[in-house]
Amino acid sequence: MKMATERKTKAEPRFEDEYACQLREYAAGSGEAALGKAYELGRRALTEGKSLMEIASFHHEALQGLIQGQQDDKRREELLQASSDFLAECLSPYEMAQRGFQDAVKALRQLNETLEEEIKRIAYAVHDEAGQLLVAVHLALAEVARELPKPQKDQVGQIEGLLNQVEKHLRRYSHELRPTILDDLGWLPAIRFLAEGVSKRADLPIHIEATFSERLPGTNETTLYRIVQEALTNAVKHAKPSNIWVRAWKENFALCCSIRDDGAGFDSRLLRIPSGRKGLGLIAMQERVSAIGGTLQIESCPGRGTEISIRLPLEDENANSRLARG
Amino acid sequence: MPINSDQDIVVARQKGRALATELGFPPGDATLIATAISELARNIVSYARKGHITLQKIDGLNREGLSVIASDQGPGITDIRQAMRDGFSTSGSLGMGLPGVRRLMDEFEIKSQPGRGTTVVVKKWKQ
Repeated sequence: MKMATERKTKAEPRFEDEYACQLREYAAGSGEAALGKAYELGRRALTEGKSLMEIASFHHEALQGLIQGQQDDKRREELLQASSDFLAECLSPYEMAQRGFQDAVKALRQLNETLEEEIKRIAYAVHDEAGQLLVAVHLALAEVARELPKPQKDQVGQIEGLLNQVEKHLRRYSHELRPTILDDLGWLPAIRFLAEGVSKRADLPIHIEATFSERLPGTNETTLYRIVQEALTNAVKHAKPSNIWVRAWKENFALCCSIRDDGAGFDSRLLRIPSGRKGLGLIAMQERVSAIGGTLQIESCPGRGTEISIRLPLEDENANSRLARG
Repeated sequence: MPINSDQDIVVARQKGRALATELGFPPGDATLIATAISELARNIVSYARKGHITLQKIDGLNREGLSVIASDQGPGITDIRQAMRDGFSTSGSLGMGLPGVRRLMDEFEIKSQPGRGTTVVVKKWKQ
């Protein structure tokens, strides 16, 4: 059984008061007991979601209260040292959390990379392996057809026609899964190729507007492509729109992209409720973007379409052109 | 030393900090060691009610360090992998509890048997 040791909310004093009180205790010489409390306070602050800036400001206030009116320079010096020890102790849970976040971000990046590798493998399997099998089927059919009288031969011909279509679709899908265009020609041609396919299949116009077309660092290109891909898939699947607009532009060291449709829409405020259910696709999109330090926004209203916007941080231009070749 | 109460946690922290300082760890590291001790002691008090923490100086080939051994005869952990995953600590915050301790220290080892108790050994080496 877990004990609810941290659920004493009602009787608990305000964080900042408790902080000032324990800091005074420590400055008065209560030693490790107060440092232990500082750590507990840091832990509490973390669980309550207090920001480091808030803690800095509470610390500042408590410190002012402590040294106010203190004339003796030596004592002032001691008090300053004591408060800096106390603050460090209070921040140590944040150090733990910070390391945790760093690990999580690293894991996310690795996950995305593994995912990309896996997708490449599947795309290869669909394109090459299934393609070869189809060639074998064609040959076998031709063999059978040679022996057959005319009417059956025609039927085999129809089957071959269908097989050709299967092959065309497989090739198309495998290119969309992991378009070689993305590696060879970059994000914009890849997105155009993708949009063309979706547009044909869903029978709706997709308007693409980009104010720049140069290559981006590899992860940015992949992320951009995947977000647009997921957004287009979602729009077609759920919103039944008549139009989709994809826009990409640069702004203050950020790469921006928005995918907007005029379909059914939904109440996007529901997404902001922490317990609200989000689709897996949406979570994956968000994680992909935050793994490289970007942000993703979704605006939607029933009957007024949906707009997904992302901003990815761009490094300086030199770094970009260097990375784009890698 | 026995860990039964909040007071014991304070004593363990103090001894840990004193040993770290004596061994020449910088103050920041001493704070992180005290934090790791707190997290381990906290786990003992929350899950097993009582247990022990042992602090030791350790010698590597060409370096010195400090080890903290936290043991209890409590209910033990059935799924260690789950316990080491973030978000499973009592607080629920990312990076707290056992995974947090692992990140603060250089080495981390955990042994546990359901119904028999848990032993966690962590080490930090002086850089």
